[in-house]
Amino acid sequence: MKMTGKFLGLAAAFAMSLAGPALAADKVKIGVSIPSATHGWAGGLNYHANVAVDRMEELYPNIDMILVTASDASAQANDLEDLVSVHNVDALVILPFESEPLTDPVRMVKESGAFITVVDRGLSQDGIEDLYVAGNNPELGRVSAEFIKEKLGNKGDIVVLRGIPTVIDEERVDAFMAGIEGTDIKVLDMKHANWNRDDGFEVMQDFLSRFPKIDAVWAQDDDIAIGVIEAVKQAGREDELFILGGAGMKDIIKRVMDGDRLVPADVLYPPAMIATAIELTTLNYVSNAPVTGRFILGAPLVTPENAANYYFPDSPF
Amino acid sequence: MQTMSRKAAAIGFGPFDLKTWGPLLALIGLMVLGTALNTSFLSEGNISNILTRSAFIGIIAVGATFVITAGGIDLSVGAMAAVISGVMIISMNALMNVFDSASLIIACGILLSLALGLLAGAFNGLVTTKGKIEAFIVTLGTMGIFRSLVTYFADGGTLSLDFTIRGAYRPFYYGDILGIPVPVIVFAVVAAIGWVILNRTAFGRHCRAIGSNEAVARYSAVQVNRVKTLTYIVQGLCVSLATIIYVPRLGSASSSTGVLWELEAIAAVIIGGTVLKGGSGRIGGTVIGAIMLTMIGNILNLTDLISNYLNGAVQGVIIIVAVWLQRGGWKNKGQ
Amino acid sequence: MSELRTGIAGGGGQAVAGPAPSNAPAQYRQPVLSARHISKSFGDIQVLFGIDFDVLPGEVHALIGENGAGKSTLMKILSGYHQPTSGKLHLDAQEVILPPDGQAEDLGVVLIHQEFNLAEQLSVEENIFLGRELRRGWFIDHSAMRRQTEELLAHLNVDMAPDATVASLSVSQKQFVEIARALSRKARVLIMDEPTAVLTPDETSAFFEQIRLMRERGVGVVLISHKLDEVKELANRVTVLRDGHQIITTDADELTEDDMARHMVGRDLSDMFPPKNEPDFDAPLVLEVDGLSVGTALRDVSFNLRKGEILGFAGLIGSGRSALFEAIIGLRQRTGGITRLNGETVEMTALDQARDRGIAYLTKDRKGQGLLLNDGLKVNLTLFALRQFSNKGLIDDTLEDAALERAIRRFDIRVRDRSVPVGALSGGNQQKLLLGKVLEIDPNILIVDEPTRGIDVGTKQQIYNFIAALAAEGKSIVLISSEMPEIIGMSHRVAVMRSGRLTGILQGEEIEEHEIMRYATGLKSQGTADATGGTNTHADHVA
Repeated sequence: MKMTGKFLGLAAAFAMSLAGPALAADKVKIGVSIPSATHGWAGGLNYHANVAVDRMEELYPNIDMILVTASDASAQANDLEDLVSVHNVDALVILPFESEPLTDPVRMVKESGAFITVVDRGLSQDGIEDLYVAGNNPELGRVSAEFIKEKLGNKGDIVVLRGIPTVIDEERVDAFMAGIEGTDIKVLDMKHANWNRDDGFEVMQDFLSRFPKIDAVWAQDDDIAIGVIEAVKQAGREDELFILGGAGMKDIIKRVMDGDRLVPADVLYPPAMIATAIELTTLNYVSNAPVTGRFILGAPLVTPENAANYYFPDSPF
Repeated sequence: MQTMSRKAAAIGFGPFDLKTWGPLLALIGLMVLGTALNTSFLSEGNISNILTRSAFIGIIAVGATFVITAGGIDLSVGAMAAVISGVMIISMNALMNVFDSASLIIACGILLSLALGLLAGAFNGLVTTKGKIEAFIVTLGTMGIFRSLVTYFADGGTLSLDFTIRGAYRPFYYGDILGIPVPVIVFAVVAAIGWVILNRTAFGRHCRAIGSNEAVARYSAVQVNRVKTLTYIVQGLCVSLATIIYVPRLGSASSSTGVLWELEAIAAVIIGGTVLKGGSGRIGGTVIGAIMLTMIGNILNLTDLISNYLNGAVQGVIIIVAVWLQRGGWKNKGQ
Repeated sequence: MSELRTGIAGGGGQAVAGPAPSNAPAQYRQPVLSARHISKSFGDIQVLFGIDFDVLPGEVHALIGENGAGKSTLMKILSGYHQPTSGKLHLDAQEVILPPDGQAEDLGVVLIHQEFNLAEQLSVEENIFLGRELRRGWFIDHSAMRRQTEELLAHLNVDMAPDATVASLSVSQKQFVEIARALSRKARVLIMDEPTAVLTPDETSAFFEQIRLMRERGVGVVLISHKLDEVKELANRVTVLRDGHQIITTDADELTEDDMARHMVGRDLSDMFPPKNEPDFDAPLVLEVDGLSVGTALRDVSFNLRKGEILGFAGLIGSGRSALFEAIIGLRQRTGGITRLNGETVEMTALDQARDRGIAYLTKDRKGQGLLLNDGLKVNLTLFALRQFSNKGLIDDTLEDAALERAIRRFDIRVRDRSVPVGALSGGNQQKLLLGKVLEIDPNILIVDEPTRGIDVGTKQQIYNFIAALAAEGKSIVLISSEMPEIIGMSHRVAVMRSGRLTGILQGEEIEEHEIMRYATGLKSQGTADATGGTNTHADHVA
């Protein structure tokens, strides 16, 4: 999928150079720069970006999208230079690898006169982007806390598996801890499982041998949750606890939809946000009303009742 | 000078050999530490968890002991494990349309895994020997190739084994024989066979000779290229075996599978007393090294005394101390 | 203790000239470096017993003795690498403790090791100034170093580019780099460990010139050598050590070579070489080589070898003798030619094929190609014939132990502890072990390449006896050697090579030093334009 995306981008660039300046001038060029698919969530991101790019180009013939993926922050900065100097884009949709190192490169794109849409991770300076589309990390923590409080009746022992030590992880955990404050819910311990299945499995194994009684597990992420599920099954303690993940991986959504007792719900942090950003940016050029501002997606709770709405069996994530 | 090195050597070969006992001492020290921090460390379940977990790195490290003893290095093992897992899962899912029997499908998956490990190892070995390119570069290259292949196969996401096969395949990781988990048995068998091959066969002796001095090996009628290639094939087969017991654990593979396994395997080999530049290999030490690496992570999970952010630092210190135990004493007495 | 000069005193020694002029008669000169009652023990093993040794400015003082006599230890004490257990060193009549690890070079005492201490990937110039680079401010002063290097090399009369990497130099050129480096450090005492062991006759005479030059400049030279003729030619005084004891120190004029040898081994060495036992005239040909070529390095070489024969291969270093046999046994790719074993044409492309046909090769590079220095005796002994020690795929420990037991007795390998790494053995014992290793396959054809390089007289004689006994048993031997007495004393026939060609095969009365040298240097050649038609001219000549 990633390959196709790159190929499309190249093909588009090629077609343009052949079509000549007259035709090219009529088309609006939108560059999309995202991290390459090196883990599950990013894989979903790539899938949704590709789908959105195809759909927009089909819907609006005068829109030309160039999708590029980068494997690290400096490669992404290089991509941005190419988008300006080679493709001369009119607009940029970017999900920055990291906020700090990409702030300046994005500002350079802005100075070339392009419309800027920033997704998920904010830049470290205000006022550069025209449009900001993001998931809501504190909201994910808060919703998770609400669900666990309600399910446990404000009382019980839980363990928390954290992600990779980053701002995203901090925001989620801080909001979660604030959410359970004042209840009798006790966090037995928190360990980093790095948004990784194998680490989730091993950390949970150790929690299980350490704590004889666990009422709930906040895994924060669906990849971690997959590992946690297997560890709990291995220990034969499925009946004692439940697990809450996060993000909206199709395997987990499917379990929620099927009414799995171990995984009663999920909290969304959808990689599909890139599609929203691409659609909104396109709208800026095809409709009369300018689209600017901040667009913060919620972190809705997925339950057996609404799970079907969030289930994308074709997505890799 | 001659007399002096004779004396130093006598200590090295003597009854109390730090190179042999150092890793074991470090392991015992680590176990005392673990027990002091949390008594559930010694529980049967926890010890079983540690041994089972260390099986992946341990089996791969047994292969790495051969490669390193013969003076080579293989950086591609982690990525190789990921791509073999991925291909296994894709193929087994596809075979569901061909065969009805889950055990037949699993058998095919296992054979495929062994074939892929053999091919990948042969590729590393032949490019290194016939192409006369440093093993470091060759396997750095194949590491990138394997890693991006699995990403490509998974479309950047995660490959998941179909649930019907997963059920039948689960015992390969979760099962036990006489109370001993299957991965631990596989690990023990691989280590025992590895020990015999390295210490009791001509092939093992040739590996040591090549790692010690390639020219001497050549002038002693050792088929250097053949033996070196074989070490990479042994490594590839070990990766296959590790993969065969890894896949049923979570039934999935992604681009993040096996990340940094190559460094853990090399670390296990070196902690165990094998010399990185070749010529001397210790399978027993490698087994201890692999268990130690797993145990460090386990102990850190069993305590909240140490900030999570310092996990890497603790691991680093313990690795260095373990190797120092094994060499420091040796050096002081040798002078 | 406060008067003692240590390494911290630094380069003070460089500028100080000897208190008496160096051209004064020896008896009036004061030693530049002297050692009094030096003893040395390693643990509870004493290796030197009360040695008195000194070197005067402007003399060559030779230090000789069998392997293990204590020469190396004394040499390392004289240059600061070891400290004596008891006894004192004096530099310019002042008591001194020499600093370790070669820092004594700053005091003008330089040791040139047998294994050179050169950084192979650096240039000649960089090596000469290594560790004491000339600087201009923060930067290295390349032009000054280049100028001084050129001066040094011109001074030594050596044709060498200052920017050549050391790895690209020949062994003798590397030695000149070592000497140039010593000169650049203003050496006043130069200690050399077997400097000519790896030099050709031409290089050796050039090297002698250097030594004489340095002697004239007032440098005191300590020369360690096994070559008694060189000692006789070059040394002013000679000290003989045996088993850590000083046997004699006297003027070189007062000793003959035989005297020296007798002092070294403590007995008479009347017959160095065993009697020649020539094979029958019609003994079968076991090896026939016809028109063998390797690119331009070896061209059209033909010869044959009879059962029970010792065939010597003489020639200058680099004349292609080792390359020829490496090509025959599959260690080197050949570009043409035929090999017949017992009349049957065979193609050997790897050493294991040669081994399986009963051919063994004893390399001239004992440490680089022969033995695994960090491994034990047993591992080394059985490596070449490992299959013989395997039982159902597994190596049988008891077979290996028995083989080591046999080899130790058969080859008189002297070792206190059988578990030591072979790097700790003396050169002679290493060589005997190496010989045992290649003989483990019980070969029909044994090729020995410089079998006595760097080993003492007593062990040499033992090795000659082994070789002669093997030939008498009906094995065929090829003896490649650069030591003329060895070739002449051992060989039934002598093949001479020059620049990759076989220039002649001598037998009977023809085997004589001057005749061999004429073929080796190109003054003489058998056959016309070396067999263009591929006819076996040399073999014909012999048959």
